[in-house]
Amino acid sequence: MTEKVLPEYGPVTKADLSKAAWRHNVTLQWSWNYERMQALGYLWSILPILQRKAKTQEELIASMQRHLVFYNTNPAVGSPIIFGASCAMEEQTQGEMGDSLKVALMGPFAGIGDTIMAILLRPIIAVLAASFAMNGSWAGFFIMLAFGLFWFWQKFPEFWWGHKQGVGLVHQVAGGALEKLTEGATIMGLVVVGGFVPSIMSRLVTTVKFSQTVEGAKEAKVVELQPALDALLPYMIPLLVVGFAYWLLKNRKQSPMMVLLWLTLLAFGLSYAKIM
Amino acid sequence: MSSYGIGIALILAIVAYVAILANLGPSLMWHESIIVGTITGIIVGDVQMGFTIGATLTLMSLGMWTYGGATIPDFMTGAILGTAFGALPNVGLEGGLAVAVPAALLMTQLDVLGRATTTLFIHGADKAVARGDVKAVTRWHLWGHLPWGLTRAVPVFLAVWLGAEPVTKFIGWMPDHFMKAMRLTGAMLPALGFALLLSMMPVKKYWPFAVIGYVLFAYLKMPMVGIALMAAAVGYLYINVKGVANRG
Repeated sequence: MTEKVLPEYGPVTKADLSKAAWRHNVTLQWSWNYERMQALGYLWSILPILQRKAKTQEELIASMQRHLVFYNTNPAVGSPIIFGASCAMEEQTQGEMGDSLKVALMGPFAGIGDTIMAILLRPIIAVLAASFAMNGSWAGFFIMLAFGLFWFWQKFPEFWWGHKQGVGLVHQVAGGALEKLTEGATIMGLVVVGGFVPSIMSRLVTTVKFSQTVEGAKEAKVVELQPALDALLPYMIPLLVVGFAYWLLKNRKQSPMMVLLWLTLLAFGLSYAKIM
Repeated sequence: MSSYGIGIALILAIVAYVAILANLGPSLMWHESIIVGTITGIIVGDVQMGFTIGATLTLMSLGMWTYGGATIPDFMTGAILGTAFGALPNVGLEGGLAVAVPAALLMTQLDVLGRATTTLFIHGADKAVARGDVKAVTRWHLWGHLPWGLTRAVPVFLAVWLGAEPVTKFIGWMPDHFMKAMRLTGAMLPALGFALLLSMMPVKKYWPFAVIGYVLFAYLKMPMVGIALMAAAVGYLYINVKGVANRG
């Protein structure tokens, strides 16, 4: 019995790769679920390649099933590279090798990608955008919009790079270049946070005043507390509040939700006590 | 106008739906509070409210990230509702914040629901793959966004359509000193974002860099773009100088 040859069977073209890249870069997580996370998105994205390589329906089903297994990594930094390399493997009929590449790289890339995004890039951009928006400027909105567009765009060069590297990728990642990048960006992040804590929270000032009766003077002299604090250490209250929240999180192991509650209580306490 | 019609409610629901998908798929970051806040502000006619609510929630969310698919407060929905209600007369910024923060926290339940419901779609896809039905696989994946979008769009629609009157009444009933305390809370909440961020950074090892940033602003009054440029230069120099030192 001869199996019917599938109509899509044939050599993988650049257009097929481009189609796969677009599918991955636009829709990867649309069917994200707790059970296998990005698996279905991955399968649908790589389908154009699988269809080219499968001669028979049985082969197609087998290769589709290989890609319906658990997969999860950072969708913007990492996944396009892994996906590009995995496409290259499928092209060379090395699907199983591609599968182990996926498993080997998704963990490290999730770590690197999430760190770059959550701790380094997003906070810097977000704080910059927020401080413009706070001052009523459109610049904040456009900074965020541009950041998102850049984030989307950069997935394409990532994909093609991954496709070019193929298996050699594992060595590249282990090379240490990313560690250097992470350290430099951490430092950049800390300088920015150091500057932005007082800048963003500068509205936190005390309204406490003392009346001081100076001997010989007719009227009591009013002394404000805030200038005295500023002379001691500028923006002391913002620093103390952030320090308090940090202490709750780090030393008291409180959840962010509890810290939110404590900060609200603190604000209400200080407001009703007429301190701030 | 002290409430919203069904039209505005529908438009804002679509904004929520599109914004979550634009982040989920293409990573466009449209779910960021500043973006949805501003867009909501344009729709309800109070862009400044969108800026302020969006910026406050963005700062609160600084250190928060959906690591490995974790659920975090839904500041996107919070920003849409906070801006829409804040723009109503008699509600204002404090009232908007009083809506936005609890809404963001409550929405975490629906995020879990959405992420769980999509599991049905991958089981559907399992069956489609076993049959070799490529078209059905495509459908299961592309419609997988329904639970994601609807868990945001439906609450936004209902809250904006039906919620304006109760919220306005509730805020109007709040005494002045309460609203003053809410304002102070709003000013204090970015501390949570900064603290979360710092708790995930190696502060013990690199604290002097934070001091540099602080001195630039607090004593030298450097504008924020200047600080960001300085930060990039310091980071670059540090890794290069360290590289040279390691080579001996």
